Amino acid sequence: MTEDRFEKLLGLYLLEELSVEEERELEVHLEECSRCRGELARARQTHDLLRELAASGPPPELKDRVLARARGEIPARSRGGWRFWVPAAALLIIAVFGAGFLWMITKDSPEGIPLAATAPTSEGGGELSGEVQEGNLQIELVVWGLPELRKGEYYELWYSKEDGGRISCGTFRARPESQTTVNLTAPASAVSYPEIEVTREPDNGDPGSSGEKVLVGDLRNL
Amino acid sequence: MFGPVVRAVEDEELIRRVAEGDDQALSELYNRYSRPVYATGIRLLGDAHLAEELVQDAFMSIWRAAGSFDPGRASFTTWLYRITRNRAVDLNRRRQVRPFSAGEEPLRNVSGGPEPEGGVDGWDVARALSRIPDEHREVLTLAYFEGLSQREISRRTGVPLGTVKSRTTAALKRLHRSLVNPAAEESRHD
Repeated sequence: MTEDRFEKLLGLYLLEELSVEEERELEVHLEECSRCRGELARARQTHDLLRELAASGPPPELKDRVLARARGEIPARSRGGWRFWVPAAALLIIAVFGAGFLWMITKDSPEGIPLAATAPTSEGGGELSGEVQEGNLQIELVVWGLPELRKGEYYELWYSKEDGGRISCGTFRARPESQTTVNLTAPASAVSYPEIEVTREPDNGDPGSSGEKVLVGDLRNL
Repeated sequence: MFGPVVRAVEDEELIRRVAEGDDQALSELYNRYSRPVYATGIRLLGDAHLAEELVQDAFMSIWRAAGSFDPGRASFTTWLYRITRNRAVDLNRRRQVRPFSAGEEPLRNVSGGPEPEGGVDGWDVARALSRIPDEHREVLTLAYFEGLSQREISRRTGVPLGTVKSRTTAALKRLHRSLVNPAAEESRHD
């Protein structure tokens, strides 16, 4: 067997895919060939790293779950007319089962409603929980890592829907370096709005939303 | 577990396709990077269920925010790594809201982030794998991640057994080079 041929066997040796005969021949060669020993040492490092990566994989069925979830959700750039139908269906459910329906879903969630930062690389986030009491929605909102506010700016929590309709649940300020908990109140009808937004608002006297969302949550994803 | 290897496609091209709603591109990115994301979850959160949740969150973030990826600012792996780290921090905060369940531990090394302590880790290997030629990535993926024998790889790919065998050693060599000198490997790939 030539040296070149021995070298080609190194990967198979590591994968234990050589015949007994080939393995014996290669081992004899390795004893006398420092070049092949060096190649084997390098191949073994890579082999061990691949083995380690292979052993750290998630369960195989997770991939199907992730892809199924993604297929049910159109990515941001290509969203289209479907957006009308999902809120329309949500509103139909509300009409049939009553406005408390969506809130019941959130009440059953032990972790509250997660709020995600709109910027994917932001470390901000939040969680919202609460209950309906005497016609009002009492909300506890926990936020962290929000961008630093300029003088006069504040954050505002909204329940909203696709057609642009939204109900304000109140305003607050938060520091970027710490976790902030605020208690806010909104009309109980807010729970029929499927989306939750935290926006950054300028101090310009306009009561409408600036549209500058920093956190978003979606009752339909629960 | 994994489908056929997507040929001659860079991560940045795949993410562009994801932004257009191509779930096959997302599937290929999952094949390439779910392992380091999961391993990061295990390392930081110390819990297999949370690590799975982290994989789901990270890949759904890719799906939702692919349009905001700017290759001029960071490589795909740097972007995904940041998403993974931030989602792990989110998951840990959510876990702190409720009591720990049996087997769960607090986030490890959260203040400093999950930067590897040094040396080569799963992210480096996944990134290096994405840089080597398709035929090399294919044999390594099938042998190591799907556990196929050389004969099974030959059957699966239609490549003659002798070629699969010689390609396996060549692929290990190429991957090693890609790990040791990524810049040279990238320019060779261009």
